[in-house]
Amino acid sequence: MAALPLAIRSDFVLTIFIYTFLSGILAVTFDLIFGFTGQLSMFHPAVFGLSAYVTHLLVLHARLPFWLATLPAAAAAVALAIVVGSICFKFRLKTFYFAVVTLAFAEMLRLIIVNWNSVTNGTLGLVVSGKPTIWWPGTGLVAIRGPVAWYYLTLAALGATVLICARVLQSWMGRAFGAIRLNEDLARTLGINVFRYKLVSFAIGNALASFAGGLYGYYTGYIDPGYLSINQSMEVLAMVLLGGQGTLTGPIVGSFVLTALPHVIDLRAEARAILYGAILIFTILVMPRGVVGTLRAWRMRRAA
Amino acid sequence: MLSLVAGQVLNGAIVGSMYGIIALGITLTFGITGIVNFALGEFMMIGAYATFALAERGRLPYPVAVVPAALIAAAAGYVCNKAFFRFTRGNLVNGLLVSIGLISVFESAVLWYWSATPIEMHFVLPGALRLGDVSLPKMKLVVFAVIVVVIALTYAALAGTWLGRASFAYAQNAEAATLMGVHTERLVTAVMLYSTGLAGLGGALYASLYSLEPSLGGVYVLKGMEAAILGGIGSLMGSLWGGVILGVIEAVGSIFLPTAFRDAYGLAVLVAILLFRPAGLFGDES
Amino acid sequence: MKRTDVIVASLLAGVLAVASAEAQNVVKIGQIEAQTGANAIYGWMSSQGTALAVDEINKAGGFSVGGKTYTLQLIALDTRGEPKEASVQLKRLIEVDGAKYIFGPFLSNVFLAIRPYAAEFNGKILMWGGATRIHDYVGTPGHEFLMRTWNWDAGPNGFGELMVDQLVKQGVKKIALLYQNDQGGKVMEDIYVGMFKHKGIEARLDYFEPGTKDFSTVLAKIAAWKPDYLFPGYADSYIYDIVRQATETGQLKKFFLVRGSLGPGLKNKDALDEYVVYVPKYFEEAEKKDPKVQKFIKAYRDFYKRDFPYDQAPLCSSSCYDHVYMLVEAMKKAGTVDDPAAVKRALMAMTYEGLWRLRFDDKGEEIFNFDVVRLKKGGAIEVSHINPK
Repeated sequence: MAALPLAIRSDFVLTIFIYTFLSGILAVTFDLIFGFTGQLSMFHPAVFGLSAYVTHLLVLHARLPFWLATLPAAAAAVALAIVVGSICFKFRLKTFYFAVVTLAFAEMLRLIIVNWNSVTNGTLGLVVSGKPTIWWPGTGLVAIRGPVAWYYLTLAALGATVLICARVLQSWMGRAFGAIRLNEDLARTLGINVFRYKLVSFAIGNALASFAGGLYGYYTGYIDPGYLSINQSMEVLAMVLLGGQGTLTGPIVGSFVLTALPHVIDLRAEARAILYGAILIFTILVMPRGVVGTLRAWRMRRAA
Repeated sequence: MLSLVAGQVLNGAIVGSMYGIIALGITLTFGITGIVNFALGEFMMIGAYATFALAERGRLPYPVAVVPAALIAAAAGYVCNKAFFRFTRGNLVNGLLVSIGLISVFESAVLWYWSATPIEMHFVLPGALRLGDVSLPKMKLVVFAVIVVVIALTYAALAGTWLGRASFAYAQNAEAATLMGVHTERLVTAVMLYSTGLAGLGGALYASLYSLEPSLGGVYVLKGMEAAILGGIGSLMGSLWGGVILGVIEAVGSIFLPTAFRDAYGLAVLVAILLFRPAGLFGDES
Repeated sequence: MKRTDVIVASLLAGVLAVASAEAQNVVKIGQIEAQTGANAIYGWMSSQGTALAVDEINKAGGFSVGGKTYTLQLIALDTRGEPKEASVQLKRLIEVDGAKYIFGPFLSNVFLAIRPYAAEFNGKILMWGGATRIHDYVGTPGHEFLMRTWNWDAGPNGFGELMVDQLVKQGVKKIALLYQNDQGGKVMEDIYVGMFKHKGIEARLDYFEPGTKDFSTVLAKIAAWKPDYLFPGYADSYIYDIVRQATETGQLKKFFLVRGSLGPGLKNKDALDEYVVYVPKYFEEAEKKDPKVQKFIKAYRDFYKRDFPYDQAPLCSSSCYDHVYMLVEAMKKAGTVDDPAAVKRALMAMTYEGLWRLRFDDKGEEIFNFDVVRLKKGGAIEVSHINPK
């Protein structure tokens, strides 16, 4: 994976991978909340979009360097996640209701961003011309420019996200998440503070997702309220389900498939969309646990 | 000002009743089978386009076109149930993904055939009724009446009949219901048929009021979900009330506050109500 | 033995040379528009026009430049209106397909996302689209590759400016604007709210969320303000409903549009008082008078095997049918198909007479003739043909 840009010099292919990694961060962090803790959150695009805006606005108006600007953005994401999460979890909203309430909050945030023209430029969006910089030994500050640099940066970001999630899951927090996913009431009777762990999972997932927002905005060069749309939620959900929920690699596989798919199918626009829908349907029916989930089950059966 | 508010309360109720008929489909499906049919909006869209085809191309009078259109939507629902949803019973999220896929398929197919040009039916019942200072389009009143009647009949049918009681038995405990002789598969199929047929009817009524585009179902399924939750999942009349209340809140909110935030008013009220009555306004607290 | 080897080898070489020469005699045109998704109507119309033109040119045997005959290949990609999709697609068109001529985009958000990448190829590609935001960049340094294929609303040749002046002459004092809240609506706000104020007409603006179908509340609010005209957005899919609902209750009966078609007006002609709209061309009339238009409509029907969409056809002018032919003309004039900069110079210097008379101003923004249609209650139609100097 790391050597890929050396072999393939195609901007087009590298771009697909870059978007795969960026969406992959969203998908993996969503899976932390959904696949591992069992909460169907529709709030992901909200923090994704919010942090893109906050990061860029801080760079623009407060003249902060990119990396420094991502921290307040992440803090805002965590704060919002805690507020929304507290409301939802305190009132013990179950799956469908939780999804609709998080959706409601995400939509309200989107409407605020769409209409707060003086700050966000509303639907016209913000054009991003800056570049994040990295301190490289020997050369000093280097701007991330061009597909190869972005490839490595996003790959590193994805890797870091996966590592953090893995550590969280291996710890006692991870086991609490699992217990909550399997049976919330039982977990409660076992003495697990369900409210607290749901909130922790929600906060961590949203905080890590917020870094994807800043990077995505700076890579695409354009931030608009579409980042917070319901479609984003659907896309992330599809990636996780297709790839395999409850795994860390599944969402990345799903992200790659769904990012690359539209560019591989060379059909008339409507036919391509029909094929896309058909692929979603058949994949989930044939592999209800997603690609990675099914592969693992198959391997376990082979071993038995 | 008063007539403005009064007129918009009435209009909001009418618009809300359309959310209500979708909400009824959602509450029936979810309450009885545990699946949220997120693709319900697509069946509404099929009903709308079928009505257009029958009434405009087929030259059928509008009231005659409505029933076959709803049946076509129900038939599509039956096919989807047998082919896809049957395998995602009880799995809310996989069912959701199937719905997302179906949305893509249906919308693109309709776009391919009808193209992106907006289409509109001829005006079935033009003109408005004047009540003092308030002006209400006649067709909207007809639509409202039809929806209220349909939902009330559904309520009466389910509350009184064996099928209705069986449905609630299944909802309470699927295994026990099966043991008691309820044909669960047939029951679920019946619910799917009816809810998609309802959506199709909603679409047929929609076609008499608004212009058609392939994505028309998206907004209604979301509002339908809001309305169903607001009214209380499992409560049939609740779905109508939920829809009406949602419609009125959006309309009245838009009078005094900017129209741009219309959707937010309904959402804010929904969240507030859910926090104090998690089962919705008329739902069962059990 | 050796002789046959040589003969076979040279035959093979000859075949290969011919084959690759054939492959080389193709000029690729990339098109990057939203063919599905919200606001697909613009991209859809553009693709309809280009595909028809490309087919006609190829069927006629292609075109010749510098002694060689070329055919066109159209690679039309669907952005679904998403900036991310468009950035990947543009890379594919330029890098993988090697297309030097890009048609589109019409959507401003797509344009803003792909502009930085396209600018890296300044001098090596030509990109011309209808997006309103292109106006901000066209003619600026570093953007020589860019042209805009639509009239600009304001300024001396601006159709919007002209129409607003007409309103002023009529003595209009108040106008209500009802736009959908997306980048198109916002750009219209930037152009028109200021323009009205500047010309002494009081304007109020209300936004609605895309996807709205019922306008009863906002129309009631607007009607209470008693405007002279209603300016109902820019997309037909909303205009149909707005005009119907406004006239149904008899509250608002006069409409003023700068984008959108005559369709909603015709549908509601008995309930409204007046419907004034800018259309690139009033096809129903043009079909009767202009043989070129007749030929075009017939060709459309034959090619697509469907009824000609009189309503939406006007949008065809934006980087499509006429533009394909114009591009070919420019290539002939420039004497090259491989040098987009030279082709652009040729485009800037020429006036093309097709369905429209097309030419570009010194920044690279298009100026073409258009119609303003005034529909009165009952269906009486008055068409003004405007030919900008």
